[in-house]
Amino acid sequence: MNVPVKNPFRTPRLKMVLIMLLVAAPALLRATVDDALSFAYEAALPYYKQGYSIRKDAWGGDLATREKKAVSSQLFKGNDYWFLMATDLKGASLSVHIYDDRGNLVDAESWQKGRFAGVRVTPKSTGTFFAIVQILKSPEERTPWALVYGYK
Amino acid sequence: MLLGKSLRGEGIFSGFPMKQISILLLIFSVSGVTALLADTPPKKIALSDFPAAAVEEVVVPVPSEIFAVLDKLGNPNWKSQLRDGKALTPEDRARTALLLGNVIAEGFVAVEAEDAERVKELGRQVLTLAEAINVRKSVIARSKSITDKADQRDWRGVRAEFDGALQDVRGAMQELNDQDLSQLVSLGGWLRGTEVLTSIVENGFSKDGAELLHQPELVNYFDRCIGSMGARLRKNPLVSSIREVLRKIGPIVNEGGADISIDQVKVIHDLTHQVNQKIVNGDN
Repeated sequence: MNVPVKNPFRTPRLKMVLIMLLVAAPALLRATVDDALSFAYEAALPYYKQGYSIRKDAWGGDLATREKKAVSSQLFKGNDYWFLMATDLKGASLSVHIYDDRGNLVDAESWQKGRFAGVRVTPKSTGTFFAIVQILKSPEERTPWALVYGYK
Repeated sequence: MLLGKSLRGEGIFSGFPMKQISILLLIFSVSGVTALLADTPPKKIALSDFPAAAVEEVVVPVPSEIFAVLDKLGNPNWKSQLRDGKALTPEDRARTALLLGNVIAEGFVAVEAEDAERVKELGRQVLTLAEAINVRKSVIARSKSITDKADQRDWRGVRAEFDGALQDVRGAMQELNDQDLSQLVSLGGWLRGTEVLTSIVENGFSKDGAELLHQPELVNYFDRCIGSMGARLRKNPLVSSIREVLRKIGPIVNEGGADISIDQVKVIHDLTHQVNQKIVNGDN
């Protein structure tokens, strides 16, 4: 005996759910800076475990591929800093490096691994420094990013 | 608070499942990480190539960033830096915001002094002041954590809670479109932190200690913040006197560089002490 199968897409409620999902999908998929911040905190976790105090204050935004941004920061001689940058966008890669106020590279060490990057600096003098953040590659036109730092 | 702005961090490292943390620890174990060198940055860049729009706003350091260095330079008498008494909650919202920042900075001093009772008292003051400017909800949990961690003498944890309280209060204010008050909280904290820093450096002067005052961009930043505030706030007598103080401090920390003299340290101390007295006592 054949049992009639009801087409689920003819049910008004299901149709509405489908439409809502279609409408919401881009928003759900769109990477957000808040998500990037969560990833940046994740990248900071090993350093927290090494005794670095990770600041709650952070920077963030979105950048086009190869676009750079300077993030100014007051650093103190005698402290040891790690800056951790991340995006939540899969397939993207980024970098962060630190320069002094005369434009000299002052990275003590740095690493870059896909959507995460980190740089350590032990300032030789107290003053204003600039973290230069950049998206190296990305599957999207704009890539959300976030940068956190820790000190000890 | 998203694009092109500094961000407010959420509860640090909370809510991540252990499995995820373990994987990340593996990925980021420092020995492995240093081997993952990739892009080669230029040794020198022209900062002038970055227009104002390409420069993010300054993240204001918390006092403990500076205090950490002072601890390495010597053994400061933190207890002698603690301020006595409890400030009454002002009616003036600008002063309340400045006082809130001031009290949070005092919390960092109390942590350095490892004075659990004072830390708890300051945690309660943070809550009272936050209530006066309608952001109490944002710091209830922080205030409780400050008390709990002070009881456990978990000083690193207390520091993180004061830092978190600062960000939560500022974030709540920004959600209420009170950007200006939010800046005043940071400014209040910086003023108290600078007063304590100069007091310690003055008492045991060293070139390295004095160099910690070389914060030209930060002083300019606060000056710019006041300059961009609404006329009512900008003309507030207390805010206006703080701007005068910043303009006196600016040239000292700008030109002094690594050679700030003991007399200059004393000048900055007197200026910040006087303005902090106004914040606490309210006499303009």
